Amino acid sequence: MSLPYSFRVAISSLLHEKWINFLSMLTMAIGLLFTAITLLTVYNIDLMTKKLPEKFSIMLYLKDSLAREEIDTLIEGIRQDPSVDRVFFIPKDEAFRELKATLRNTEYILDGLGENPLPNSIEIKLKAQLLGPESVKKLTAKLKEQAGISEIEYGEKFLASLHSVRKGMNTIGLVFLIVLSTGMIFICYSTVKILFYRKDEEIKTYKLLGATKGFIRTPFLIEGAVIGTGGGLISCITLVSLYYTFIFKLSQTFPLLNSMYFPVELFLALPAAGLLLGIAGAIIAIGRIRY
Amino acid sequence: MIRFEDVSKHYDNHTALRKVSFSVERGEMVFITGPSGSGKSTLLKLIYLSERADEGSVFVSGWEINTMRDSDVPVLRRKIGVVYQEFRLLYNMSVFENVAIALRIRGVDEREVKARVFDSLKIVNLRHKSDNYPHALSGGEQQRIAIARAIVAEPILILADEPTGNVDPDTSAGIIRTFKEINARGATILIATHNRELFRDTGKRTLKLDFGNFVGEGIG
Repeated sequence: MSLPYSFRVAISSLLHEKWINFLSMLTMAIGLLFTAITLLTVYNIDLMTKKLPEKFSIMLYLKDSLAREEIDTLIEGIRQDPSVDRVFFIPKDEAFRELKATLRNTEYILDGLGENPLPNSIEIKLKAQLLGPESVKKLTAKLKEQAGISEIEYGEKFLASLHSVRKGMNTIGLVFLIVLSTGMIFICYSTVKILFYRKDEEIKTYKLLGATKGFIRTPFLIEGAVIGTGGGLISCITLVSLYYTFIFKLSQTFPLLNSMYFPVELFLALPAAGLLLGIAGAIIAIGRIRY
Repeated sequence: MIRFEDVSKHYDNHTALRKVSFSVERGEMVFITGPSGSGKSTLLKLIYLSERADEGSVFVSGWEINTMRDSDVPVLRRKIGVVYQEFRLLYNMSVFENVAIALRIRGVDEREVKARVFDSLKIVNLRHKSDNYPHALSGGEQQRIAIARAIVAEPILILADEPTGNVDPDTSAGIIRTFKEINARGATILIATHNRELFRDTGKRTLKLDFGNFVGEGIG
């Protein structure tokens, strides 16, 4: 089958029905634009929440009776846990010095205490990829069984809400992606289906003349692909324009927006997504060809 | 080339063909005759598999086509050139494109397409109208486009369903002359017609159908 011929037929058909095709392209562009904005938002929130675990740590306050050798054994045991990244021992004197430095002008408060009231402590940093409410709970439960630890402290609520935000945003993103993708496939489906119905007699003639299914399908697939890719390109241009017009200008007033990341892969991803959705819609619209 | 063995075709409320048997040799030109509704078109449809027989066997070039898989149907159709009663032209395409489509479907190289289409249009005297669109042409001219399309790929078998149904007697004679010339080049031709004038004095075999029954054969 001649591909240049199929392209010629497809382009001529696209031009013949230019307004309906342009409208489909615009609708596709709007759908892709909303999807891209949603994904961009989800991606940036995810990126921001991924940075937060660097500040997260579990603090173990040790009993004064614990000897140095016992502390070293305890630290070594903690290091063996696969979720643990780094372990720091903070001697009580150092903790007291840090407290004094923090209080600076009001350190007289500590004068009345006489001796250092702070215990020895261990700070545990977890691997970012394994950080989650479940893994932390599991580790702290294990640590609670260890002798010599008087208290365990970590931001349980903070960790849980962080996890919920990430999970929620991912779910919202996924739902948006599914709903909008289905909508866009339907747009391409409808456009190609209308073309297919309008060309019903022509297709019957092709079949009677011995055309293969590929010969009949290819121009419609090309039409779907052109509509999809066109929609993708329009959405890409609009997204970049919106990004530079709004985010760029607004970031001067709201510096937080400066950290908003725009992945360059989107330049390729949007037309590619349009192309795939366009072809998918055309495939569904043409359906099975019977002789 | 073609063999029918006890072929029957039933529709909801009537039988179009009843236990029809005949054969056509390679290189023959045969007229299927009979009044309207006698089953001529159905018989042709069973050959290019627009319909399938309910009973019996249909052989084309040695293949039993009635049990042929759906995916093989285009292969069979590409070996046959059909002139449809209702022309089945593509009205959004020029005369040239209408004829060329038969070659493009067969994957013929574009450089070869032009020469072969013009040769074919020359045979049917439409070379000078290759850029026109079918709706701008008369019924007879449209019929001749359909013939040019049927012969352009030099198929082993040509089927024509009432090929002169829409044309005046002079054009009809011209069309039959064209078919005889194509037949002289070796193609097997089967023409379905109710018009006795068409096959009179042609010296070609006629097969007569009546109410779906094969009622005899003769020489035109």
